[in-house]
Amino acid sequence: MEKRRVVVTGMGMVTPLGLDESSVCARLFGGQGGIRRITSFDPATFKSKNGAEIDPEALAAALTAFELKPSDRATDMALAASGHALKQAGLLPAGPGTPGEDTAVLIGSGSGPSHAVTESWKAYAAQGARGVRPTTVPRCMLNVLSSQVSIRFGLKGPNYVLVAACSSSTMALGIGYRMILHGYARRVLCGGSDSMFTAPLYTGWDNLGVMSRSPDPDKACRPFDAGRDGFVLGEGAGAVVLESLEEARSRGARIRAEIHGYGETSDATHITRPSVEGQAAAMTAALRSAQMAPGDIDFVNAHGTATKANDVCEAEAIRGVFGSEADRVFVVSSKSFFGHLLGAAGIVETLSAILCLEAGRLHANLNLDQPDPMCNVRLVGRESQAIPLRTCMKNSFGFGGGNAVMILGQYKE
Amino acid sequence: MTREEILGKLRGIMGRTSQAKVDWSRVNEQSSIASLGIDSLAMLDLMYDLQQEFGIEFEPQDVVNVSTVGDLAAFIEGRMGA
Repeated sequence: MEKRRVVVTGMGMVTPLGLDESSVCARLFGGQGGIRRITSFDPATFKSKNGAEIDPEALAAALTAFELKPSDRATDMALAASGHALKQAGLLPAGPGTPGEDTAVLIGSGSGPSHAVTESWKAYAAQGARGVRPTTVPRCMLNVLSSQVSIRFGLKGPNYVLVAACSSSTMALGIGYRMILHGYARRVLCGGSDSMFTAPLYTGWDNLGVMSRSPDPDKACRPFDAGRDGFVLGEGAGAVVLESLEEARSRGARIRAEIHGYGETSDATHITRPSVEGQAAAMTAALRSAQMAPGDIDFVNAHGTATKANDVCEAEAIRGVFGSEADRVFVVSSKSFFGHLLGAAGIVETLSAILCLEAGRLHANLNLDQPDPMCNVRLVGRESQAIPLRTCMKNSFGFGGGNAVMILGQYKE
Repeated sequence: MTREEILGKLRGIMGRTSQAKVDWSRVNEQSSIASLGIDSLAMLDLMYDLQQEFGIEFEPQDVVNVSTVGDLAAFIEGRMGA
């Protein structure tokens, strides 16, 4: 089957830095992160008290603009981000016979509609069986995220949710890329959405011992810094519209970026501990898919969680794959701005990378006061940096050992 | 409960589940339910809320022929009287 060039023609985001590109850009390149003391519940009794939450009023306004009512946080965020991406791509309204109608929907999520699940627990605990609404079933099924996007916007391609912990939305992007590349879909809306900011769900994370316990929200997330002590949980969603270059040109769509390749592997070792070999194999597979060499990559948007385990492992994997090119290639983590968005991390960080490619500027690694000597890669410093950029490698690695790596770049004729 | 009282309750319940901007004071027995922003998920919620509000029990298939607000009011009236 003939291979096609795959381009991005629409972007939508619901992030702790804002819900519109101009706000996100201003904060990303202005060095203003989105981490604050948690407000969704009282974090006083928790060991980790900071989070990267979205503005619920801004989300409510975005839902109202699409004539939607709040349902479940992750579902709502997926809908708002998808709506913005479709609108930017010029695909709304997507009624019968329109280009938007022939669009697949792939949403990545680690935990799916977790707020709806929590609400059903609470209802049963408070009122017994009579308290549990029958709509608990369609609200709590994992594919509610993609099916609601399909239903609300009239998108009649296949819709499903990819679940691979923190790699979920990068995998959604990768599968969407392959569907366009090999002609299995005309257009794919790829996204991710996750929120774990309910006290019962957050408790598990708090007890897992992987999150920063810093009392200072501005200093809590420190990817690749010697003083890092874990990640900061975030919530958010992102979405892009992928289509073939020919399709985009025929519609006169604005092209934001091009997807060059995708690779994925499994560690097959440990449920939470990362593997240098697994990560490196995914990076190598992505380069091979893109028919590129390490010398073709300008920067790596790292998974960069700021845990002790990940950052050393990822840096070693990058060094192993890039060799001496690792002295040249910049490495940056968007998590010091957005927190760890779990299943949505990959897509939101890909959007961040596209904004960097367009701006010719890398955002900072916030709080990189003292780079960890164990992380032997070229890290962007605490200030954003103007630099000619053409291509990016985007890494995502998840609990369960799923590794997903995307190669993307500026679109050139 | 009179038909008008049932219609009043229906406007309130449907207003909470609807996804659309609707002037509920203008909704009458001839109003089509499909035009009121009640999608398939909201319809499931509505069926549950009606059973709770009116103290009746029914299955989703019992209302497959209900298309207007008046049809729904009549169905509820019938079940309450049964």
